[in-house]
Amino acid sequence: MKLQIKRLISQIILFFSANLGYSKYPGLKTGFCYPFFYCQACPAATSACPLRSLEQSVDKGSFTWRLFLFPLLIIGFLGVLTGRAVCGWACPIGLLQRGTSHVARRFKKYPIVRKLGTYKGEKYFRYTKYFLLIGFVFVTSYLIGFIFTDLCPVGFLTGTIPILILNPGMFIPNYFFPVALVIFVLFFVLIFVIERGWCRYFCPVGALLGPFNKISFLHISVNTNNCTHCNVCSYVCPMAIDVPNMHRDPECILCGKCVTACPNGLITYERR
Amino acid sequence: MKKFVVLQVCMLVLVSSLLGGMFAFTPVYNEVRSGIVLVLCLSCLKLEPKTAVTFTFDTTNNQPHPGFVLENLSHGPVFLHYSGNSCAGCDTMYPVIKDLFSINFGKQDMFHALVTFNNFTVAYIYVNVDSTIDELRDAQSIYDQTQFGSIPMFTIVTLGYDNGKVKPKYTTIYGTLTAFGCNTDAQRLVFLQQLVQESIQMYQENEAGYHHL
Repeated sequence: MKLQIKRLISQIILFFSANLGYSKYPGLKTGFCYPFFYCQACPAATSACPLRSLEQSVDKGSFTWRLFLFPLLIIGFLGVLTGRAVCGWACPIGLLQRGTSHVARRFKKYPIVRKLGTYKGEKYFRYTKYFLLIGFVFVTSYLIGFIFTDLCPVGFLTGTIPILILNPGMFIPNYFFPVALVIFVLFFVLIFVIERGWCRYFCPVGALLGPFNKISFLHISVNTNNCTHCNVCSYVCPMAIDVPNMHRDPECILCGKCVTACPNGLITYERR
Repeated sequence: MKKFVVLQVCMLVLVSSLLGGMFAFTPVYNEVRSGIVLVLCLSCLKLEPKTAVTFTFDTTNNQPHPGFVLENLSHGPVFLHYSGNSCAGCDTMYPVIKDLFSINFGKQDMFHALVTFNNFTVAYIYVNVDSTIDELRDAQSIYDQTQFGSIPMFTIVTLGYDNGKVKPKYTTIYGTLTAFGCNTDAQRLVFLQQLVQESIQMYQENEAGYHHL
């Protein structure tokens, strides 16, 4: 079976696994945290968003070490084994962006988009997700109690919208709704304009998983000695990584598109 | 290369043993389940249930009123306040409730007091879903008319007359009371004052016919 078909099956299975909590059918509500970005406010969610647990652990100057360590260890366990493969093979928001990537790729033919993509500051902009993680998940929660999840676009997509659809007329927007709606619209535009735009620049869970690429057992390896620098791998990479020159790049989501695309078979998954 | 593999193995052993240890020796699994997964923070949801302020005798699935509510009902109406950590809506309502009953308590504590409201006793019970006991947490589902387990949630249990019998009657409201047109703390306070006053009147009208526990 082709690698990308396997990945699609994995994403679909894990999407359904993340949604086994719908009331009584089967109504599975566990005490785990997802290792990816998904909201516990989703009517069918089985587990908790790791960011929610982290926020709660440092709520207004308090520190609950159990809620702090628990999501980090779940993410760390998978991170040490597979690095950021969770983003490429499991995350439902990754699956959504896989769906929008065809549209985003079409935007690549516009010069302005290409120019933005090759802008030298682009690689620094990728640090935004680390800033969001530290600044909005930890620091603001600790100091003032303002929390990321109140405005989270993923929460809006997987929690607010399904609840509004399933319970028409039962809810009215609160004061967070207008701001969250604007952020959600920007999120939606982003994923249609830039392939994996959310994963590249903003996903705080990706920021947690990314550094594990440096030590994970599973990683992508490039045989640079025989590489002809045709750059097909970099062209197909949804994270826009310079694949021939990457070595355990924190941005790599191990989707395997470069593995499939390399005409000489010089890019492989390695398990140590 | 060997050093790197040793590092990887050490990391895996460390992470998996810590994770296993947390499952085995700490209540974190239950904390996450009961404090995050089973609770719907209305601020995170960015929505509030559109409910009416109507007193009813019918609890969810006709469950009996919990013992601690019936015990406190002998003193006056019972005001149940469900709240949680990391919940902006709960933070908004917390000072309003403190003003309503002129009381002071820590947001993360369990709190129970017989308070005086317009010269009448009201039993106030504060439940922080992140640090409470099962009996109090389970009572939420009995009075949760929407069945979402959402916070903040307020239930007032009083007495009502039903087919020749005086029985506990209650109403439940949610969130920051946006559904009732309250957008400021002052409006929220006035709304709650009127609601508590109404529950006191109902209690006074029916108390004589009620057989207390």
